[in-house]
Amino acid sequence: MTAAKIIVNEIKGYHRFVKFLIVLVALGALASLARFVFGLGVTTNLNDTFPWGLWISFDVVTAVPLAAGAFTLGAIVHCFHIKKLEPLVRPAIVTGFLGYSLVCVGLLLDLGQPQRCWHTMVYWNPHSPMFEVSMCIAAYTTVLFLEFLSPVCEKFGYHVPLRLLRTIEMPLVVAAASISTLHQSSLGTFFLIAVDKLHSLWYNPLLPLLFWLSAMCAGISIIIVEATMSHKYMGQPDESELLETLAKILPWVITVYLTVKVFSLVALTQGPLFNRPGLLVLFVVEVAVGVLLPLVMLMNGNVRENNRLRATAAWLVIAGVILNRFNVSMFGMEAPGTFYYPSFLESVVTIGIIAAHILFFVLIAKYFPIFEHHPETVDYSIPDHFRKTEKGHAHGAAKA
Amino acid sequence: MSSENQDFNKSKAFLIDMTKCTGCRGCQVACKQWNQLGAEKTEFFTGEGYQNPPLMSEYTFTRIKFRDYEKNGQNEFAFYKEMCMHCNEPACASVCPVGAFKKTKEGPVTYDAERCIGCRFCMVACPFGVPKYEWSKALPLVRKCTGCYSRVKEGLKPACATTCVSAITYGNREEMIKEANKRIAARPEKYLKKLYGSEEAGGTSVIYLTALPFDELGFKPVTKRPLPSYTWQALRLVPGIFLTVGSSLSLLSWFNHRKERIAKEEEQRKSGATPKEES
Ligand code: SF4
Ligand code: SF4
Ligand code: SF4
Repeated sequence: MTAAKIIVNEIKGYHRFVKFLIVLVALGALASLARFVFGLGVTTNLNDTFPWGLWISFDVVTAVPLAAGAFTLGAIVHCFHIKKLEPLVRPAIVTGFLGYSLVCVGLLLDLGQPQRCWHTMVYWNPHSPMFEVSMCIAAYTTVLFLEFLSPVCEKFGYHVPLRLLRTIEMPLVVAAASISTLHQSSLGTFFLIAVDKLHSLWYNPLLPLLFWLSAMCAGISIIIVEATMSHKYMGQPDESELLETLAKILPWVITVYLTVKVFSLVALTQGPLFNRPGLLVLFVVEVAVGVLLPLVMLMNGNVRENNRLRATAAWLVIAGVILNRFNVSMFGMEAPGTFYYPSFLESVVTIGIIAAHILFFVLIAKYFPIFEHHPETVDYSIPDHFRKTEKGHAHGAAKA
Repeated sequence: MSSENQDFNKSKAFLIDMTKCTGCRGCQVACKQWNQLGAEKTEFFTGEGYQNPPLMSEYTFTRIKFRDYEKNGQNEFAFYKEMCMHCNEPACASVCPVGAFKKTKEGPVTYDAERCIGCRFCMVACPFGVPKYEWSKALPLVRKCTGCYSRVKEGLKPACATTCVSAITYGNREEMIKEANKRIAARPEKYLKKLYGSEEAGGTSVIYLTALPFDELGFKPVTKRPLPSYTWQALRLVPGIFLTVGSSLSLLSWFNHRKERIAKEEEQRKSGATPKEES
């Protein structure tokens, strides 16, 4: 059998849903090809008054907080040393790595001159939030890639790189958390320059802080949803006890977010709040359904203990963050009388990117040990008697 | 950004006196000629006024906006030359990740097409909606009025200012503002007592004088504060935040892990097999 045949046979064995995802990804790839052949003007609904559309609003501004699970959980588990959450770390890292890689894809599609993306590394402009975000995304994707290498090395039994990875694990976690803090908030800084463009329901000087806090809410919720779904659909172990712990942390973060949001709205906003009924509705939906409702739900112990309700609350938080990002980067930016909606091709590309994310996650979970990771065999302590600690008891997982 | 510590009084600026504009659109044509810009297909009354082309675009860096209004029961026209304002502290230059925009000491804000990666942040940031995009191309670039930097740097006036018989004056910004105030003082019944561009977005290199309220002409109300300061107040915290978060997390994990390591060593000592003996 040739390699191609093996692959074809392998794919034939996949579930219908996976095959469907492959089709979506292929369509998305075709559509992005069309963007390069015919240009942005023809294939998208962007124009001079609305230069950023769906690809920035969803593929970049929304996808980044949705990939925040990795840094939130990494910090919770390793820095605060809450070890029982450990089994969730690897799936979160894989999601984060996929999320960021796809953010890069979205950015490249949207750039007018993608072949010059390396310019950001050469011509520095520290005054630009875009410069900072691109630096951070490059750095963070690298960090996540290194973290992702662990299961890959385990799969193929490469012991030497594994030890190396283990040594740099803690610095990586710390780096990941600090870099994420920066670029999650810088996405908010993007819109600080849109002084007279972004509506005052969302425009205020604390936008970066709000983006960072809501990214953490999204990060925790994503982990809950992901673990619940992979338990239900992929036959992975039930982590509900761990998820309850997360569901206890989540309302605190939401409360902080809500406090800052109310404070900035009341004390720091300049300009009228109630002059655009459409935007007001979007704002109310965002806060009521995406913030208040899940907050009330999660404060109830019965909800936190119930798998279905807990996942529902997490979904609401995620929906709230998505709506918030769209409000800031799309709806709130539309001047009265103008209207942008994504073109067919833009939407196909975005659907393809989402499908790619799910598809790769399923495939990685199928071929690499991201769920069967046994934390109790691993010592994550920083080896300060360097070799000795390692020899003693540190590389259990490498042999496992 | 090269605009810090720059004396904007000494840089060059346009004084555009719209009461003197006859709507001949000589500047529009001169600009197309000097910058070798393509023609646009004529379609009347597609924009918000009677002007043609309806909007500035990749082919049109400046255009005369036509606005009709009623004065003493009579229909009248007002004209407004729209172009890049060459802000003293340009938002476009501040947000461009690769520094493709630059405020020159002569005044014009230039664009380096070789650097641009096409992220269009400049278009989002510009408060006057000036940068335009080559939407027709597969690998598009940004286009905008160059302030005729190639001419200005050689001591010439911009093409549009050279062509215009009366409405455009070009010179040191300080003198242009003085001249504008002189004109207002000389004919207070004619002019509106406000200069657009003297303070907008922190001051620009294009100063307008009109007889009509600016918002009637379609001028956007723009903040007086330089736009780059809005993002900079957040961005300047970046190194500090990075170090604080990084070091506190490192400390925290070092502390937590040390606790565990000590506990583990204790346990090992009790069982009699310290890892140290092995090596
Ligand atoms: S008007 Fe816009 S494009 Fe021109 S210098 Fe100012 S910010 Fe830049
Ligand atoms: S589109 Fe080009 S000039 Fe504008 S901000 Fe992006 S890189 Fe800079
Ligand atoms: S300064 Fe030059 S580029 Fe700008 S509008 Fe005048 S002629 Fe055109």
